[in-house]
Amino acid sequence: MLLFRIRADVTHQFELDRLFDPSSIAVVGASTKEGKIGYEAMENVHDFGGRVYPVNPSAEGTAFGEPFVASVTDIDDDVDLALLCVPAPVVPEVIEECGAAGVGAAVIYSGGFAEAGDDGAEIQRRLTETANEHGIALLGPNTSGFVIPRTGLYGSFATGVESFPAGDLAIVAQSGGVAHSIAFQATRERRGLSAMVGLGNRANVGFEEVIEYLDGDPDTGAIVLHVEGTDDARSLLETCYDAETPIFAYKVGEADVGDFAESHTGALTGDHALYQAGFAQYGVPTVDSTSQLLDAGHVAATAPLPDGTNVGVVTAQAGPGIIIADRLKQAGVSLPPLEDETRATVNEILPGITYSANPVDTGRPMPEFGEVVRAVAADENVDAVLVYELHEAALGFPTEDLDGLAESVGKPVVFATAGPESLLEPDREELESVGVPVFESPERAADTIAALAEYARVTADAAPAEVVDNA
Amino acid sequence: MRESDPIERARADGRTTLTEAEAKGLLADAGIETPAFEVASTPEDAAAAAERIGFPVVLKVSSPAVTHKSEWMGGLGVTVGVADADEAAAVAADVFDAAADSGIDADVLVEAAADVDAGTEVIVGGLRDPSFGPVVLTGLGGVFTEIFEDTAHRLAPVTQATARAAVQELRSAPLLEGYRGSDRADIDALAGVVKRVGDLLVEREDIAEIDVNPVLVTPSGATALDALVVLEE
Repeated sequence: MLLFRIRADVTHQFELDRLFDPSSIAVVGASTKEGKIGYEAMENVHDFGGRVYPVNPSAEGTAFGEPFVASVTDIDDDVDLALLCVPAPVVPEVIEECGAAGVGAAVIYSGGFAEAGDDGAEIQRRLTETANEHGIALLGPNTSGFVIPRTGLYGSFATGVESFPAGDLAIVAQSGGVAHSIAFQATRERRGLSAMVGLGNRANVGFEEVIEYLDGDPDTGAIVLHVEGTDDARSLLETCYDAETPIFAYKVGEADVGDFAESHTGALTGDHALYQAGFAQYGVPTVDSTSQLLDAGHVAATAPLPDGTNVGVVTAQAGPGIIIADRLKQAGVSLPPLEDETRATVNEILPGITYSANPVDTGRPMPEFGEVVRAVAADENVDAVLVYELHEAALGFPTEDLDGLAESVGKPVVFATAGPESLLEPDREELESVGVPVFESPERAADTIAALAEYARVTADAAPAEVVDNA
Repeated sequence: MRESDPIERARADGRTTLTEAEAKGLLADAGIETPAFEVASTPEDAAAAAERIGFPVVLKVSSPAVTHKSEWMGGLGVTVGVADADEAAAVAADVFDAAADSGIDADVLVEAAADVDAGTEVIVGGLRDPSFGPVVLTGLGGVFTEIFEDTAHRLAPVTQATARAAVQELRSAPLLEGYRGSDRADIDALAGVVKRVGDLLVEREDIAEIDVNPVLVTPSGATALDALVVLEE
């Protein structure tokens, strides 16, 4: 378990606006040498829309057209955010200078702090103390940073982050590497992001602070969490419970077990079991992979959430439909019988239909496929709809029938398909543009719907430890 | 028998583990049902206590120095099915002799015998986790818990409803709900034990871990047959 956060005695209400929405940025350790972190960070933020100040006492001239200054204290401007591209031993001193200069937030990219042993932990403790005194919000240390695609703020030193598409999903990962991994996958799969945040060692900005900020962010429709371990899990759970934005979590480290040995209870109470149980108790569904985080988070951020765990499946091909039904049932999701009215409608649209219970199997793609989906979506027994249809060039997708359907029935409608990429691509893009999330494997679509159903279940049953009734 | 708070008494002795009698006293005070029991320090006391409780009784060694009672002194630590006063006195005398031989202070716990075939053995536990705070656990008892790890956890304090949901989440819950025509166990009583263990952890910050193992759940209640309470270092 990774517990690199060193708890401060004082809790600060940081203004995370200065971190995630700054007007001016100082890059400390800025460099003109390509490949250095101080260069990559400079390149990523130099045209973010506000002033950028390269800081480096041993550099002369300019970086990306901006003149170097020796220290943040030499900047004749209110600097909101400092990006620290300097090695660990120098960081406490730079944070002192940031405090003197009135800097509001800092990202510390370098490692060599609490994750690296006692000496590093001591450096982290000192700089956190200094930052708390001055009210500086610290992202990191030991993180690759954050990105806000909508405003073009690339507070990361990774290359290619400017390709992240803007959207509604916020990624909050304990590891900067995992944050970037999910964000690049989102980019490949055209899933828009409102924010990507790698927390690193969480000196004084942790899950709680970032979740609270994002919960108040109108651009964020859902938040996904990658969690390795934190020294105050109860506080994390309480924050998640208090947030109105849907949250999905992926807790890694299943193999970790408790250190307790004296009792059976201790031996049976591993860290992972507590996270799984705790997230469920506090209304947060958990998933098993970064792909599932992305898939469930994307749909939750862009589509209506289900009110219950009953799913209607419509498929044009039996085989994928069976896989979907199987996987949903394994995940504890129910496929209820459809209402008589729905069955009558489906039979009217398609007399002699292959299987008109649930899943509804039309046997093949057909012009009426969209009408069948609409009938199932309108069914009162169904809280979410999963559709599978192989792409057929002559037919395309039932985009017109599905346009606005999810919003009008107040349920998520998720589509899964496959086909030749060149023919599929424009139709898929069109379908997604009318608000239908598209997946390219039956399992990914089923796992996504299962995660949404789990969201409905755990939010309905949530019972945090603080709420005491006298039942 | 409890003249002072068992936790304070253990602290005063420099112990971090309560005896079974102390632990059961603590549970009983918290509203958890235990078999009738008394602590005896002579064979005569043991016989008299057994008479008061009613036969058959179980005799157990009661000493801070003995954690695994059933393995102590080749099985002398726990004697079940003690049928009369003479047998109670004789067993108690053996326990005192064995304790004296191994140089430990020991009493004898005299307890009403429970009919374990009349119900299902379940584990209920709780601990203070450094990151989660007080948490509770329940699971089907005995070897099944350890092999299948069929357990459910909740952050405490929990309501009766949350405790009940934890019990019903167990894969083995059908065994309690009248599987194959057996009588339905008193799940509410079991949930009550889970809730009270959680409350105890919340109220007594000195407690690090509680094992109530087993809890015997029958159609008419839930009884703590054994208990271990470990205090914070």
